[in-house]
Amino acid sequence: MSNSRTTGSRLDRRAFLGDVVRGAGVVGLGGGAAALAAAKGQGRELVWQIDPHACTACGNCATYCVLGESAVKCVHSYGMCGYCELCTGFFEAEPLALDTGAENQLCPTGAILREFIEDPYYEYHIDESLCIGCGKCVKGCSAFGNASLYLQVMHDRCENCNECAIAVACPSEAFRRVPADRPYLLKHQDHDA
Amino acid sequence: MNKSANLSISTLLIGAVVTVAVVVAAVAVWAIRPHGELGSGLPGTFGYSVEEFTDVPAEWLRWREGSSIPVDLAQPRAVAVGANDAVYVAGDRAVVSFHPDGELLDRIQLDAEPRRLAITGEDHARPGLMYVVFDRHVEVYRSDGTRDASWPALEQRAALTGIALGGDDVFLADAGRRVVLRCDLDGNVVGEIGRRDEQRGIFGFVIPSPYFDVALGADGLLRVVNPGRHRIEYYTQDGYFEQPLVWGRPGVAIEGFCGCCNPASIALLPDGRTVTSEKGIPRVKVYTEQGDLHSVVAGPADLAPDAAALVETRTDYRLRPPMVAVDSRARVLVLDPALGAVRVFEEME
Repeated sequence: MSNSRTTGSRLDRRAFLGDVVRGAGVVGLGGGAAALAAAKGQGRELVWQIDPHACTACGNCATYCVLGESAVKCVHSYGMCGYCELCTGFFEAEPLALDTGAENQLCPTGAILREFIEDPYYEYHIDESLCIGCGKCVKGCSAFGNASLYLQVMHDRCENCNECAIAVACPSEAFRRVPADRPYLLKHQDHDA
Repeated sequence: MNKSANLSISTLLIGAVVTVAVVVAAVAVWAIRPHGELGSGLPGTFGYSVEEFTDVPAEWLRWREGSSIPVDLAQPRAVAVGANDAVYVAGDRAVVSFHPDGELLDRIQLDAEPRRLAITGEDHARPGLMYVVFDRHVEVYRSDGTRDASWPALEQRAALTGIALGGDDVFLADAGRRVVLRCDLDGNVVGEIGRRDEQRGIFGFVIPSPYFDVALGADGLLRVVNPGRHRIEYYTQDGYFEQPLVWGRPGVAIEGFCGCCNPASIALLPDGRTVTSEKGIPRVKVYTEQGDLHSVVAGPADLAPDAAALVETRTDYRLRPPMVAVDSRARVLVLDPALGAVRVFEEME
């Protein structure tokens, strides 16, 4: 049996050198790609954030955070808000009156503030110091309104644990790692008819 | 002997400690569920449910489902009735039409996503024309599916969400600018109805979400939904506000319109009663001309059998509101997006 590259089972010198050069090329290419990838990723710190389009406002954010008071808070997309007089994120489903009486408010901690703008429009603000991230208002707003209330990890509070306890407990896998220089996943006015 | 006794006591102690450690570890593993399957553990006051409001008292249920037409559209958005009670459904950049018995008649492909549609009746100067409403413009199609006209696009802020056809006029509900536009048959805007004008006693439409509908009654008056005020307002075709005729009130109870803003769509029965559909707690109801609740066509049990879906936060899982139309036999057609079908309801004797 003849073979141009081998004499018996031995490589000839030219074939051996060729293999060495090809091998070095492959290793060099691989190494270069790895170095490039590493350089690209280097310095890009990642933090935890909630994808608002995947969140189900289950309430786990309020109790699974390692912090005594959860780093997750409700935020408001004002551009999506209807500024409703009867805001279903602020009021119980069947309020006795459309006023700020505690018995009419949906939020158990009174963390939503209601401000009159002009008849019949009201603006709603979240008092972060009172919000525990339970998501009750998120559900009320989503059930009837434009879903302008949603939950986010607040990075002035988040410890950025290697393994986020809430992410582990999130039933809808809504937690994602995002670049630290763009740490929020904001909702926009993307609802349609 | 003593040595043996000491040994057995120490063995027992070690055994006891090991047993306790194992039990504690087992309890800890069972009790500490890091994967959240036990729920948040928050008290009931932190929970949110509308289930207690979904029951419809039996005395209001006076309609039965006669038939159902499956619609092969991923996102059906509007339903209308044409000549001979043909059923038209818009969605997925198309309009599909069906014989009343459900047989597919035609499919017209469109260049953009339709929002609403209406078909001129036999009494119209040009019967059988189909007006398809897009975000900012209207296209007119002949009964053979060819395009008759494409009206110029309205300004950027426009968001068309409703249409009503008159003899020489087309009325378009513009949720973006919170007015009803009166157009001639060539698409020229010849008037605006409902713009806020306190001198004329018009306080304007409140439209928090893009659902704003209009219908034209046999009496010549426009019925316009004012969703943020939870009521139906009446206007002449010239824009005069008929304030004494206004009806509707907010409330999750069956007589009211639930949530921040409802109803989502309306249609008129031949005898003048108004059919309404709501979002949030999906329900289709009939009101008398005076605005009293007459009956319930379909309630949440019909339109959202999974009550948990009513408080769904994920946009991709949220229910779209049912849309309504009425045919010449006073049957109510409900476009049920969850089921992907037009459900035809008949009033019980």
